Amino acid sequence: MKKNQLNFRFVILAIISVFLFFASFQHIYAQGAKKNNVRLKANYVKIMNNEVYFDLKAGSRIDKKNVDIANIELLISNEFYDEEIKLGSVTTNMNGECRFVIKDINTLKPDSTNTFNIVVSFKGNDKFKRASKSISFKDAQIKAELITKDSINYIRAKLLDTSKDSLISDTPLTVQVQRLFQPLYIGEEFYLTDENGIIIVPIEEGIPGVNGILTFEVVLNDNEYYGTVKAIVIAPIGTLIEDESTFDERKMWSPRNKTPLFLLIFPNLLILGMWGLIVYLIINLFKISKSKI
Amino acid sequence: MKNYDTLLNDLIPRKFGKRGTIWTVFLILIIVVGLIAYIDQVNKGQVVTNMRDYALWGIYISNFVFFVATSFVGSVTVAVLRLTNNDWRTPIVRIAEIISLAAIVMAGITIMIDMARPDRLLHLFIYARLQSPITWDVIIVPTSIVLSFLLLYFPLLPDLAILKKYHQKSKPNFSKWYGKLALNWTGSKIQKSIQTKSIKIIALMIIPVGILLQTIDAWLFSTTYRVGWDSTNMGAYFISGAFVAGVGALVTLMYIIRKVRKLEDYITEFHFDKLGKYLALACLTYLYFNVNEYLIPIFTAPVQEDIHLNTLISGEYAPLFWFAQIVGLILPLIILIFKKGRKPLSMFIVGLMVVVGSWWKRYIIVTPTLLHPFLPIEGVPESWHHYFPSMHEWLITAATLAMALLIITVLVRYLPVIPIQRTFDEQELLKTKKTTES
Repeated sequence: MKKNQLNFRFVILAIISVFLFFASFQHIYAQGAKKNNVRLKANYVKIMNNEVYFDLKAGSRIDKKNVDIANIELLISNEFYDEEIKLGSVTTNMNGECRFVIKDINTLKPDSTNTFNIVVSFKGNDKFKRASKSISFKDAQIKAELITKDSINYIRAKLLDTSKDSLISDTPLTVQVQRLFQPLYIGEEFYLTDENGIIIVPIEEGIPGVNGILTFEVVLNDNEYYGTVKAIVIAPIGTLIEDESTFDERKMWSPRNKTPLFLLIFPNLLILGMWGLIVYLIINLFKISKSKI
Repeated sequence: MKNYDTLLNDLIPRKFGKRGTIWTVFLILIIVVGLIAYIDQVNKGQVVTNMRDYALWGIYISNFVFFVATSFVGSVTVAVLRLTNNDWRTPIVRIAEIISLAAIVMAGITIMIDMARPDRLLHLFIYARLQSPITWDVIIVPTSIVLSFLLLYFPLLPDLAILKKYHQKSKPNFSKWYGKLALNWTGSKIQKSIQTKSIKIIALMIIPVGILLQTIDAWLFSTTYRVGWDSTNMGAYFISGAFVAGVGALVTLMYIIRKVRKLEDYITEFHFDKLGKYLALACLTYLYFNVNEYLIPIFTAPVQEDIHLNTLISGEYAPLFWFAQIVGLILPLIILIFKKGRKPLSMFIVGLMVVVGSWWKRYIIVTPTLLHPFLPIEGVPESWHHYFPSMHEWLITAATLAMALLIITVLVRYLPVIPIQRTFDEQELLKTKKTTES
C-alpha cells in the first residue's frame, strides 16, 4: 500500500516536472524569437461641417515582402507640451487598416503655434516590436459654394487657416464629383488659390446624376501643414438619370420580404394543396384504425 | 397456383441467416466509421473536406442528387404501372416502395451533412426565400419523404394484420408490434374502401411530386449561371436520368432478394423481361437527353463551355465521363435489346452497371462545372483548382450509402417484400376466372 502511494507521488511529481520544463522552454523560445519592425502610416482628414478622422495603416517587411498587420491595437493620443492625452484606440482590419474618428476637432489641444500633434503608437507583441508615428497639422477650412454667372455654373472655394483666420494662397485644390468607384475630376488636375485664397472653377454641362443631383468635393489633398481637408457641395445641376435600381421592387433576386406575388401565391397554393392531401391521408389512417367492422 | 399456407410460408419475413447477419454488421461498421468522420467534420468544420472556394459542391451534393434520382423509382414503377393497369407489377412494387423511402430519407440526411452548420437547419425554414431553389428543395424533400412513407404504409396494412396473426403464438412480442402497426385492420368493407381511395390519391400525387422533386433538383443547377448547368434541358434531363437510376436500383435489389429469399416462383423471368424493356426505354430516353446536353454545346459553345466540354470528353474527367456514358448507359441499352439480356442474372449485372454509372454521372454533373467558372480562377492556392474528395468525404458518403442499404435491409427483414394479401387475392381472382371460363 505504502509502496503504491510512493509510486503515485512520484508519477505526479514527474508529470509536473515535465510540464514545467517544457513551459520554461517555451518561454525561452518566445524570448529568443525575432520580432519584426512595424511601419505605421497616418493621414489626417477633415470633412467640413462633419467629422475629423485619422486613416491608419500598419505594415511590416517580412522575408523581403510587404505584409499588412491585422488585428493589432493602435493607441491614439494628443501631445500637449509634455503631456500625452489619450484619445482612444482602434484595431486594424485584415488589410492592416483602421480609422479613428473624432466628432469635433475642438476636443484636440494645439500647441503655442496652433499646431495639433498626434501620436499613433503600437505597444508591441510577441511577433512585432513597439512602434509609433507622429503627425502634426494645423486646422484649415474650405468654404465652398455653387454660383451661377451668365447661365454658367461655377464652384467657388475659399481656403483659410482657422487659427490665424488668414487666407491661404498658392495652394492646390482639386474639384471633383463623387462617383461610385473613383471621383470624376472637374477641369484641371488642380487649381492654385489666388492671393485671396480663392478658386473659381466652371462646371461643364451634362454631368449625369441620380435625380439630377451632383455631389461636388473641393479637396486640399495631403497638404504638408494642413493634411487633407474636404468641403462638400450638393447641387441639383446634373443631367437627370433615372434610377433603374430594382431594390424596392418584388423581384426574383430581392430579399424574402419582397418576394414576387406570383411566387407567394402559386407555390403556397401548391404546398397547401399537397400537405392538405397528406393530412387527409393521415386522417384516413385514423379512420381505418377506428373502423374495425 | 399455391394455397394460402404455402404462400404465407413463402412470403413471410424471415430471420437472417449467417450471411444476412454478416452483411448487417458490415453495414453498421461502415456507418459507425462514417459517423466518427462526421463528428470530426462538425467539430473542425468543412475544412476537413476538399471543398474550397470554387469546388463548393462536391461528393455530398452528387451523392444527394443520386439519392434523389433513385427515389424516383416509387413514382415510375408503383404509380405509373398502377395507373396504367399493369397487373404484373404486384411482386415488385413493395421493393420499389422500400428503395424509394430509403433513398429519399438518405437524400434529406445527405443534404444536412453538406451543411457546415447543421445546428442552423431551422434557419432554412425561418429565413426561407421562396425565390430560391434551395427553399423549394427544402419543401419538396420532406414532402416526398412523407409521401413515400405513406405509399409504403397504406398497402402494407393488410399484410401487417396477417403478420400479427401469424406470429401470435410463436412470437407474441412481434405480433404485438405488427398489431399496433396494422391499425386494427380487419379487412372490413369500410377499411378497404378508405385504403383503396387513399392509395389512389397517393399514386396520383406521387407522380407530380416525383417530377417536381427531380425538376427542383435540376433547377438547383440550371438557375445557377454556370457552364454545363445553364440549360433549359436540365429538368427533363434529370427526370430521365432518375428514371434510369431508379429502375436500375430496383432490378438489382429484386435479383438479390429473389435469390436470398428464394422467391423465384413470385418474381419470375417474366418480371425481369418486362422491367428490362422498361429500363431500355428509360436508357433510350436518357441517351436522347445526353445527346442534347453534350452534342449541341459542341456546335455552339463559347470558349468557357468549350474548355468544360474538352475536360469531359478528352481531359481530366474523360475516364469518368466515358465510364458513365458507356458502362452506365450505352452498354446496358445494347444488352437490354436482346431477350437473353433481360434474363435475371444479366439484368442484375445491367442494374449494377446502371447504378454505379448513375452515381458517377452525378459526380460528373456537379464537380467539373464548378472548376470552370466564367471568370478565371485567381489568387487561390494551386490545389483549389482541382477537386477530389477527402478521406472524410469518402467515409461519410460511404456511410450514407450503407445507411440506405441498412434501411432497405431492415425493412426487408421485417416486412413482406411481396404483398401477401394482394398476391393471394390475385390468385383467387385468377382461380375464379378459370372456373367461370370452364
